[in-house]
Amino acid sequence: MTAISSKEDPQPHSVRLADMLRSWLKIRELNVLSVLLLVGILISIFSPYFLTTNNLMGVFRSFSLIAIMSIGMMLVIITGGIDLSVGSVMGLSSLVTALAFQHGAGPILAVIAGLSIGLAVGCFNGFLITWIQLPPFIATLGTLSIGRGLMYMITKGVPVTPDVPDSFTFLGQGYIGFVPFPVVIMIFMTICFSVLMRQTRFGRHVYATGGNELAARLSGVRTSRVKFIVYALSGLIASIAGIVSFSRFVSAEPASGFGAELDVIAAAAIGGASLSGGAGSVEGAIIGAALAGIITNGVVLLNIDTYAQQAITGCVILIAVSIDIWRVRRKGR
Amino acid sequence: MDKNIRLALGIGFAAVALSLGVSAHAKDAKDISVAVIPKVAVPFFDDCNKGAQTSADKLGVKYQWVVPQNTQGSTQVQIIEDLISKHVDGIAISVNEPKSVESVMKRAAQSGIKVLTYDSDSPKSGRSMYIGTNNEAAGVTMAETMGKALDGTGEVAIVTGQLGAVNLNERIAGIKKGLAKYPGIKIVETQGTDDDLAKGVSVVETTLRAHPQLKGIFGVSQVGGPAVSKVLNTKEFGAMKGKLEVLAFDDLPDTLKALRDGSIQGIMVQRPVTMGSLAVDHLVAQIQGTDTSPPKDIDTGVTVVTKDNVGTYTK
Repeated sequence: MTAISSKEDPQPHSVRLADMLRSWLKIRELNVLSVLLLVGILISIFSPYFLTTNNLMGVFRSFSLIAIMSIGMMLVIITGGIDLSVGSVMGLSSLVTALAFQHGAGPILAVIAGLSIGLAVGCFNGFLITWIQLPPFIATLGTLSIGRGLMYMITKGVPVTPDVPDSFTFLGQGYIGFVPFPVVIMIFMTICFSVLMRQTRFGRHVYATGGNELAARLSGVRTSRVKFIVYALSGLIASIAGIVSFSRFVSAEPASGFGAELDVIAAAAIGGASLSGGAGSVEGAIIGAALAGIITNGVVLLNIDTYAQQAITGCVILIAVSIDIWRVRRKGR
Repeated sequence: MDKNIRLALGIGFAAVALSLGVSAHAKDAKDISVAVIPKVAVPFFDDCNKGAQTSADKLGVKYQWVVPQNTQGSTQVQIIEDLISKHVDGIAISVNEPKSVESVMKRAAQSGIKVLTYDSDSPKSGRSMYIGTNNEAAGVTMAETMGKALDGTGEVAIVTGQLGAVNLNERIAGIKKGLAKYPGIKIVETQGTDDDLAKGVSVVETTLRAHPQLKGIFGVSQVGGPAVSKVLNTKEFGAMKGKLEVLAFDDLPDTLKALRDGSIQGIMVQRPVTMGSLAVDHLVAQIQGTDTSPPKDIDTGVTVVTKDNVGTYTK
C-alpha cells in the first residue's frame, strides 16, 4: 500500500496561467461588464461624440448619483431586504441642506445637516425592521411616503434655491483634473465598500445574513445588528447623493429624487443582486448604474425618439440580467 | 520622428485648423443642427414641435426634439450636457426649473452654442432671448374678461398646475393685478394640481363643495379646462354648468369640447406653433450671423377664444 502523497506535484507554468485566466473569466461581474462594453461600442459606432472625454465624463457624472446610492442598496439587498426610501431620503437631504444654507449656515454645517437626516431616516428604517420586525418592503415604503409628504409640506411646492458658496458647489460641479468630483466620490466609495464587503468580517456577515439568516444567527452572527447597520448606511449614502445633487443643481425641488429608488434597484439587480439575498457585489451595482446611464446618453446622441428611451432601458436590463442568470446556471455556481 | 515627417504633419495640422476656422464663420444650412427641448410630454408642446419642425424643414437645418422624462431640473440639465457633447449649434428650451439650468446653459453659450428660451424662461441663464407668452399680460386679460362677465362682483377660485412654475405664477400675478380694478371680486381659493388630471378633478370638486356661491374659476394651466369640464358633466355638479364663468388656458381637445358644450366660457390660447417656429428661426439666424439687431424678447401673446371665434382662431 503506497501512502497517498500529501503534497501536490508542482504544475507546469502554462497550466497555472490558463487556470488564472479561467478564474478571471469566471468573475460574475464580467457578464454585465460585457453587455456594458457592447452597448458602449454600439453607441460609439453610430456617434463620434460618445468616446470623447467630455462626453464620457459627463455620462459618468450623470449616473454617479444612482451608482453611489446603489452601493447602499446592494448591501441592503444582499441581506435579503430592500430599501424603497432612498429616493425620498435623497430629496429630503437635498432639501435640508438647502434650508440650512437659506438660514445662514456655512457649507460644513449644511453638509452635516444633510448627512444627519439621511442617517436618521436610515436608523429609523433599521429600527422598524429589526425591532418592530416590519417587512423591509412595508417599512421603507412607509418612510418613502413620509419623506415625500414632508418635502411637499416644507416646500409648499416651490423649489428652494438659496445662495451657496463656491466651496460647496465644488462638490457637484468641480473637477479633479478632468474627472468630475461626483465621479471621484463614486470611485472612492466603490473602492471602500468593495474592500469592506470582500475583505472584512462585517462584509462576510452581510453575505451570511442574506444567504441564510437562521444559519448565520446560529453561527454567532449578530444578524439584527448587521441589518440595522446596512439600513443606516443606505440612508447615509442616499444623503450623500442628495447633497451632491443639490450642489450640482443648486435647487432643491419638491419632487427631487422621485422615482430614483427604481433606478437604484434596477442598477443593483443588473449588478447581480438576488432579491432573496446572499448574492451580488458592489462593483456589479456600479456597472448596472453605468449601463442605464449610457443608454440615456446614447438616446440623445443618436437622436433616438426620447419616448423610446424607457422602453430601450427596460429591454437592455432584461437582456443583461438574462445573460447573467444563464451564465450562472450554466456554470452551476 | 523624421524631420520631414514632422514638417508634413505640421503643415497638415495648419491646413486643417485653417479650414476649420474658415468654415466656422459661414455655416451651410444643412450642416447646422438645432435641438428644441420642451418641459415634458404634454400636448401643448406637440404644437411647439410642429412649428419648430416646419421652420427647420423650411430652412433646411437638422432638427432634434428631445423630451425630458419628468419635470425635474436635473433631467433637463443632463439633456443639455448631452447636446453640448454632441456639438449642436443651437438649443431652444422651455425651462422646468429656472435655477438648476443656469450654469449648464452658460457653459453651452461659452462653447459657442446659441441658446434661447421659449414658453418658460430662465432669466439669469445667459440666454440670448425669450420667446413666449407674456404671462402677466395674459393674466391681466383673463382678469378683464372675468371682471366684465361677473359684472364686478363675486367669489372666484384659481386652479393652477405646479405651484412652483414661474410662468403660472406670473399669470396669477397678472390676474391679481387685473382684478384690482374690480374690488367686488374676491379670490377665495388658489389650488395646485401638478397638471395631473385626477388631482385637478379632485381639487375642483373640493373647491365647488367648499364654496357653493362660487361665481368663477380661473384655470391658469392646461389642466384647468379638462378638469372643470369633467366635474361639470357629473350629476352632482351638472346644475352649475353655465352658471359658473370658467376661463381656461390652452386649447386641449377636451377644453375645446367643454367650450362648445357650455362648461367653459373662454380659453386663453397661447401660440405654441408660433413659439416653436420663431425659436428655430432665431436660432438659425444667430448661428449664421444674420441676426443684425441685438436679440430682444418676443411676446407671442394670447387669443381669447370664445364660442364666437372657436372655429377661426390660429396659433
